[in-house]
Amino acid sequence: MGGSSAFVVSAKKRRMQQIMKMTGESLLFLVASFVAVVVLFIFYFVARDAIPFFQLRGFAEFFTSTNWYPADEPGEFGALAIIYGSGMVTLGSALIAVPLGIAAAICLSDVLPFNIRQYAKPVIEMLAAIPSVAYGFFALVIFAPLLQNFGGTILMWTWWVIAGPFLVLAVVVLGDMVTAGEPDEAKRDRKRLLMNGFFSVLALGLLYWVGNTLNAIQIMSGTNALNVSIILSFMALPTIVSVSEDALQAVGRELREGSYALGATRAETLVQTVLPAASSGILAAVILGIMRALGETMVVWMASGNSSQIPDPWFNYLDSIRTLTATIAGDMGEADQVTGSARYHVLFAMGLLLLIFSFVSNFISERVVVRQRKILSGQ
Amino acid sequence: MNIGTRKLLDRSFTAVGFTSIMLMALALLAVLVPIITGGIKALYFQGTVEHRTLLFNEFQRGDEAKLAVDAERSEAARKPVYEYLAAFDTELESLPFERKRALESEYHHVRDTLHELLGPLPGDTPPLLLRFQYGVTRWEKAEEELHNLLYMTKWDYSDPTKMATQYFAPRVDEFTGTSLEGLFGYVEEHLEEMLLPQPEFYWGFITDRSLDAHIFGGVWAEIQGTFYLAIGAMLFAFPLGVIAAIYFTEYAKDNYLTSMLRSANSTLAGVPSIVFGLFGLAFFINTMKVSESKSVLAGSLTLAIMILPTIIRAAEEAILSVPKTYREASLGLGATKWRTIMTVILPAALPGIITGGIISLGRAAGETAPIIFTAAVSVGATIGIADVFTEPTPALSWNIYNLASEHEAANEIRHVQYGMVMALISIVLLLNISAILLRARISQKLKG
Amino acid sequence: MHMTAEKTGQVAVDSGNDGATREIFLPPERKQIRDGGKPHVVAKNFSIFYGDFEAVKSVDAEVLSKYVTAIIGPSGCGKSTYLRSINRMNDLIPSFHTSGTLTFDGEDVYGKYTDEVLLRKKIGMVFQKPNPFPKTIFENIAYGPRLHGINDKKALAEIVETSLKKAALWDEVKDRLDRNALGLSGGQQQRLCVARALAVEPEILLLDEPTSALDPKATAKIEDLIEELRGSYTIMIVTHNMQQASRVSDYTMFFYEGVLVEYAPTKQLFTNPRDQMTEDYITGRFS
Repeated sequence: MGGSSAFVVSAKKRRMQQIMKMTGESLLFLVASFVAVVVLFIFYFVARDAIPFFQLRGFAEFFTSTNWYPADEPGEFGALAIIYGSGMVTLGSALIAVPLGIAAAICLSDVLPFNIRQYAKPVIEMLAAIPSVAYGFFALVIFAPLLQNFGGTILMWTWWVIAGPFLVLAVVVLGDMVTAGEPDEAKRDRKRLLMNGFFSVLALGLLYWVGNTLNAIQIMSGTNALNVSIILSFMALPTIVSVSEDALQAVGRELREGSYALGATRAETLVQTVLPAASSGILAAVILGIMRALGETMVVWMASGNSSQIPDPWFNYLDSIRTLTATIAGDMGEADQVTGSARYHVLFAMGLLLLIFSFVSNFISERVVVRQRKILSGQ
Repeated sequence: MNIGTRKLLDRSFTAVGFTSIMLMALALLAVLVPIITGGIKALYFQGTVEHRTLLFNEFQRGDEAKLAVDAERSEAARKPVYEYLAAFDTELESLPFERKRALESEYHHVRDTLHELLGPLPGDTPPLLLRFQYGVTRWEKAEEELHNLLYMTKWDYSDPTKMATQYFAPRVDEFTGTSLEGLFGYVEEHLEEMLLPQPEFYWGFITDRSLDAHIFGGVWAEIQGTFYLAIGAMLFAFPLGVIAAIYFTEYAKDNYLTSMLRSANSTLAGVPSIVFGLFGLAFFINTMKVSESKSVLAGSLTLAIMILPTIIRAAEEAILSVPKTYREASLGLGATKWRTIMTVILPAALPGIITGGIISLGRAAGETAPIIFTAAVSVGATIGIADVFTEPTPALSWNIYNLASEHEAANEIRHVQYGMVMALISIVLLLNISAILLRARISQKLKG
Repeated sequence: MHMTAEKTGQVAVDSGNDGATREIFLPPERKQIRDGGKPHVVAKNFSIFYGDFEAVKSVDAEVLSKYVTAIIGPSGCGKSTYLRSINRMNDLIPSFHTSGTLTFDGEDVYGKYTDEVLLRKKIGMVFQKPNPFPKTIFENIAYGPRLHGINDKKALAEIVETSLKKAALWDEVKDRLDRNALGLSGGQQQRLCVARALAVEPEILLLDEPTSALDPKATAKIEDLIEELRGSYTIMIVTHNMQQASRVSDYTMFFYEGVLVEYAPTKQLFTNPRDQMTEDYITGRFS
């Protein structure tokens, strides 16, 4: 502290400080940009080994043929059935996980009291934390035999338990809607009772008929698209729930209060106001969840049956299928002996396909979230 | 719609929400309960004298004197069995050719099953593989084998319109009138004396090496490999992630470049895990040649880039949750920005950062797909810490797959698979639970 | 302590439905309202709790129908809580509970068999921050009527038009009913919220600091609107702004730390407060 001035330092010292600061910041920036470099590298190295495949075999066979015989001489590399299988289990898991996940997110954000929510959250976190190979083991060793032995019964009970309450609800609501036009109250009540009876008979018939049809189903192999779809939906659920919940929270209290104040019930408020306002964020959640299912390897590898075929009929979820991820994982063991062959590069082509899917869906989900923010802020 | 229906819809809506949460909890239970009950059986089961002998021979564990007594007792109980066999062997030679051929294959089956139960029979050539040198080690397996010995599985095709049904026929019927007839009853009566089952807590499952490709022994090599891989990944990813988070929260300007870097981060988070495996193979092994072929190092590096986005996000969140006043107070006292970050912000954010780190550690430990091509081998011994740069390792996640799907005796060693899954889940969930508890403590602290 | 408005100023006589005659106290310059002045929202020993915290302490007050009642007081005094408890908006807060009674048209608001959905239909509310739904202007107004069973296109269009006219917004938006409501200015959005509340034909309009997020010009428009609606609806307005209270209201309640300190005709409360605390507050000695 010898100098006379308190905080004006010499130009040289100041310059040194500036340089130090600049170098420090650049170093930090370098580390931060490491992630971007890694992303570029992933694209480059996967593409580098994928392109030779297309040079060797062209695009047509890969995307249009279902003949997958990579080990033959000469090999056939039609991946259509495999791409279809990936799509099928992804769709299947989305059909289960999206409604469940959105309902759970709504429940977490708007329905459950805070003290119960505290216990629900760790459940979701644990569901997310369980390693995929453990799910795969469950699917293969525990769930597949169950499906194989008691498949029809399981399907029937699932149908009854799920469809029963919904059909009851549908009977009441339909009865109400059909008779809403009747001005006279007593007459309306009588008419509604009649209608309820009519719809009940229909609903019971449907319940019984579908239940019986399902019960008669014999599942040949427990390792099939249905098994994998169910397990993948467990794995996609945590993503869908937590991202949707964030989107629902972002809608804010004001909109909810506005709707409640007009005499809306909670369901009406959520369905007519909150969900539309949060739709973009929920869409993002769904995309991320779907990506999780599409990119999952171990469960499909262990429990999908790994047969490269388009099921017959095409929507038959009780058939075995094969997916892109499982093919990469399963075939590399033999293919990396023959580095440089089409057999090796085709697996990278599949990886590239997955990578492009994930990149595009990630991009869309980001855009969509930005859009929601804009809509809610009124721009 | 009338108000009653509206209310009903409202209530149903609530019910759907509750049900979905309940379903998730049930899904969790449905996965965890069978795995844990199955996994416990790997550690705690009715072990036979064969198991105790195995442990003594391979690991020099157990009470030698007591074992000798047990061995003598069981030998005494087995003696009549061997006598039945010897008698039948001679009888078989004297039988007419047709009768002999008819009985021979069933007799082979009997001998095989007895071999499974009791180990090598007198007169067998000493087997090379360890799995054939011992009888059943677990009592529940012994009961299955006993059933195999006593009954033949037959199919009933009598009704051509239906699928054939399975039924069991007593095997003893095939041998009526021969000297072997008494064997079946004797084995059924005296199996317990021959095998001397007693409840056993086999803690060695965690700490023993595997014997004969997991037919016997424990899973220490896998547990160790999992730790190597996960901790190795953290060594790379944690410092990088925290520094990147500091940059994003404290230094990054709100511009195009920053938003691109952030996009890159979320892109990386969305890359399917198997693609990381491909990248690890193509880049770390084939291009950079960090090792000749698969190695712990290559696997750790691959896992590191996979968990990097998670760590960055968690660290960012933790840093952002440090109250602004801390920062202002420190800057106001004349501390430089860097000093403020190092002495005020990071310590305050540390619990949050560590929480994120623990969760990532769990994720790295549980992942399989990235290590398939980069680090994992199905059979292998434990490796020393010096070998991690060059040697591949078995790991829990990979070996669960391998034992359940590719092992030649996958059905025989379900208990080992369950045990491994339980070990993996325990590691991952313990990490997660400690993270949850840590977070709860932080939020309590912030509340004051 | 049972509190009714102090008897000063202009006195009018009104005979209510029950046949009883009651005196109404008006600020001198204000017009008397026909059919008004019946006790509409009546609190008896009414307290509001959040957990153990008593946010509003045993209020006894009658809000008279078709007049404008302002609620003033410093931040955190419970005035918003009181207002929001009238249409049970506080139900959303988990630890919220009440004691005593609050009746609306003689029916218990917190009764065991009270249906909060039907209750809220009768009570319109406008919030501090304009909160139009991210839908078109038309859909915003039609939202309430649709909930309550009106689905006929023509009927809805009619309701939308009258509501917007009542809220003095029709001329500004009639050509763009299908545009997103979030494109309106803040003041227009707030009037839209008023129109949305009016569309379900409520009896009471609760205004929770409706102008605090608006500029002076938009504020003036809302105040004009309140003047317009006075006499057709019972209006309760929470405001921070004492000038606003004195401009728009007939009666004023002053809350301090959860206690209803004074409730009197506005003119009297502002010129001749009975309570020292009220005087301190309106003269700006604390806020």
